[in-house]
Amino acid sequence: MTSSARFRSLVTLVGACLAAGAASAQTTALPDWSGVWAMEGGTIFDHATVVPPNGRSGNPGVREFPPYTAEWEARYRQNIELIKDGRFPDPITTCGTPHGFPRLMNLPDVYEFAVTPAAVWILVENGPNILRVYTDGRDYPPADALWPTYSGASIGHWEGDTLVFTTVSLKESRDGDVILDRTGLVLSDAAKVMTRMRKVDDKTIEAAMTIEDAKALTAPWHVTKRYRKLPAGTWAWDYACAENNRNPVTAAGKTLTLGPDGRPIDKVTE
Amino acid sequence: MSRFGRWRVFAALGALLALMAGAARAHHSAAMFDDTKVVELHGTVKELQWANPHIWLQVLVPKDGTTTEWSIEGGSPNSLSRQGWRSTTFQNGDLVTVRIYAMKDGTPAGSFIGAKFEADGRTIGRWQD
Repeated sequence: MTSSARFRSLVTLVGACLAAGAASAQTTALPDWSGVWAMEGGTIFDHATVVPPNGRSGNPGVREFPPYTAEWEARYRQNIELIKDGRFPDPITTCGTPHGFPRLMNLPDVYEFAVTPAAVWILVENGPNILRVYTDGRDYPPADALWPTYSGASIGHWEGDTLVFTTVSLKESRDGDVILDRTGLVLSDAAKVMTRMRKVDDKTIEAAMTIEDAKALTAPWHVTKRYRKLPAGTWAWDYACAENNRNPVTAAGKTLTLGPDGRPIDKVTE
Repeated sequence: MSRFGRWRVFAALGALLALMAGAARAHHSAAMFDDTKVVELHGTVKELQWANPHIWLQVLVPKDGTTTEWSIEGGSPNSLSRQGWRSTTFQNGDLVTVRIYAMKDGTPAGSFIGAKFEADGRTIGRWQD
């Protein structure tokens, strides 16, 4: 081997060692978010602004106060009025589409957070729903290769033990087909959500979201959700929503109840 | 584990209930139910449908010489199993008292709150409060 070939080999070897060391350091630095978790509180998206303070998502007249523009406040109020009239079905009742982001951070049943060197997957039993957060250094696809989707596109990085990710390219709510909770909260397709997730203590993970929406909001909207670790050995299960869905939705937006024979048993069906 | 033992486990898992609150309403709005009034039904279990998005308990309720079949929905089998329920918790033919929030429109259906088994007095769900 010539001296220059030996030098190239040495450089290659040192480079490989450094890369392996960096990968190892990143792997060992990743936090342990293993286990099964459940969101704290009910499914009101923004507990800080809900009125009445103990209001439950879906109950008539319950609402929150995002910094909406006048146009989107009017849309929200329209949804609230439809809820009072029993004509604002939850889009997930049909078991046909994902809940979408950021609603998927606001669901009952349980969560799992899979942390890997290249990505973090937020796995939600209810739905089921998945949020993929890529942490491998990639950039977003070019604009002409993106289209609005329920969960959008998320890229993140680690700041110590905090996962910081930004989600864009979200599907806009049209006629309430994508909501944040059952009070009728909606966002536009201009929504951009920056989330900071970290383990507050051994039993708690916190996700602090800052939502910007040039169409729907006049200022950033801050919402924090918390998840409590369930006992070791807790199982998450398959959730096949369409398996025995006895709650079809009529064209007028009324949610019906089917009897065991598959026919509506409601006294009023429209 | 004996049936009695299983029910003690259910009680120990009560703390999970608070975390799982709302699970019964994970799939559709509860606006159809009147949650200001508890309705008590006395009848016979016809069937427990143990499937997502939520379980259904079919109960035959006799009244004034006729029998009406009530459809009572509960949480998802996923969340209920974590609270100690099993697909065999209710057996066909069990005599039960069931507390529900009934449908506002008078439909014989409702949202499960709790139940008491007449044979031995065991309860499940919210019963004491």
